[in-house]
Amino acid sequence: MCGIVGFFAKSDDAAPVGATVLAMLSALGCRGPDSAGIAWWGRAADGLVVRVKPGDGAESAARRREITKRAAALGRVRVSPAGGSLLRLDIAKVDPTGLARAIEGVGSDVEVVSMGQRLEIVKQVGAPQGLERDFGVSKLRGSHALGHTRLSTESRVDLSHSQPFWAHGYPDLAIVHNGHITNYHRLRRLYEQEGVRFYTENDSEIIGLYLARKLSAGASLGDALRDSVKELDGSFSYLAATGDVFGFAKDPFCLKPLIVAESDGVVAIANEEVALAAALPAGYRAREAGASAVSVWQRAAVAPRRRSSGAGKAA
Amino acid sequence: MKAVNCASRSVREINQIIRGLIADGEDEILVQNPGARHNLAVAILRDVAITIDGSVGYYAGGMSDGVRLTIRGSAGWGVAECMLSGTVVVDGHAGNGAAASIRGGTVVIRGDAAARAGIAMKGGLLVVNGDTGYMTGFMMQRGRIVVCGNAGPALADSMYEGTVFVGGDIAELGNDTVVSDATPEEHAEIRETLARYGMKAPEAFRKVVSGRKLWNYDKKELDAWKAAF
Repeated sequence: MCGIVGFFAKSDDAAPVGATVLAMLSALGCRGPDSAGIAWWGRAADGLVVRVKPGDGAESAARRREITKRAAALGRVRVSPAGGSLLRLDIAKVDPTGLARAIEGVGSDVEVVSMGQRLEIVKQVGAPQGLERDFGVSKLRGSHALGHTRLSTESRVDLSHSQPFWAHGYPDLAIVHNGHITNYHRLRRLYEQEGVRFYTENDSEIIGLYLARKLSAGASLGDALRDSVKELDGSFSYLAATGDVFGFAKDPFCLKPLIVAESDGVVAIANEEVALAAALPAGYRAREAGASAVSVWQRAAVAPRRRSSGAGKAA
Repeated sequence: MKAVNCASRSVREINQIIRGLIADGEDEILVQNPGARHNLAVAILRDVAITIDGSVGYYAGGMSDGVRLTIRGSAGWGVAECMLSGTVVVDGHAGNGAAASIRGGTVVIRGDAAARAGIAMKGGLLVVNGDTGYMTGFMMQRGRIVVCGNAGPALADSMYEGTVFVGGDIAELGNDTVVSDATPEEHAEIRETLARYGMKAPEAFRKVVSGRKLWNYDKKELDAWKAAF
């Protein structure tokens, strides 16, 4: 069944997106307790922030060192605590494709889970509450976030098969999906012939790759979402976001739920209103999106926040 | 009137408390803090007034017979599904499959209804003050649907019997449907129904009924069948 949620602050770069999305996910946990994850877009890094799954087994410190070393060969690297089993690297501006290749060259089970100037993803096996325990996600701030709680129907349950999915190769683009893409195998063969690498057997993975191809070809996220309604088959409600744009798409048969609540300041979206009720102040108005519906929201230009050095000193 | 607070109670506990109150002869119940949870006030087989003070999840008021349910918020999928008699009023919007398979009674949505409102209705009345989504009245078998706003694509697709009235625009008619203007008598009847819920009728309604071509298989109608399946 899967639960998907999204939260978008229209003109706040430091909204409490972690706490909001965690509350929404926890309310939706009954839709699927197999694995859970959150993607969020926080403060922009000077270069790229990368989160890496160092391997499937008991990943060794040596492996982490080797990954860090290879990344450092490309640019200045800072390693910061990531929580869970993920490695987090903050790296100077480098070519994203070359960076991913260098990191994943360490082992066939090494995967760059997220990469971007603002995007970060944490995910793992287990119910949403584990995200708080291992990553402290309730403290995360940013402009928008996506969340996923999974009921596995076809592919295996492990970190790589969990969502959100980063659109491998395209920094800052991520998706969460509820449903089933029935032309997945046909599209996958097509993409693989062109050299695209797939990391999982999860049909949802293809959505991010599909959007990345569209965006690379110059389409806007809105156009890419609209095209996907015609070009992806099956049942789907999915959310997608880049550093600046947040949106959703729904299949033409309206087979998966998606409830949207929008106010002047925020947009909150989930499969079921129970997630909105858990996270939004009373008085919001929820509405189910229709067949083939696509909506996108663009981040407003945000004035840089003045940092106050003294405690309680408002700018 | 007795109140039931949903906070920190399971859905089963909430429904058991409601049933207990009804068994004790209570005929007016207020359900507080519903938190958009599923299966609230289902299978109520008595003529009691229940007000849910907020949004509900799936199947609220489903399988009921005689209940007068008011939802002061939005409703998720399948509100009032399989109802036999009674009234369910949703102040906000309704999700997929509102009034699915009802056999009788009245379902009123003051906002919009999403896809497949009134799917497989076998009787009763569904009133939507706003717009309805994809496949409204899909395979309906009896009863009446009144849409004051616009109706989405594939309206009343493959309906057997029953009537759909639409006050706004019809995005696209479903397979095997016949459309005409509502008669002045029908308009008066609808106006009276809407007035009961404080709603104003649009100036005119289009009336959609079954073309009955899909009732029996006919080789000459192969194209219609292909389109329907």
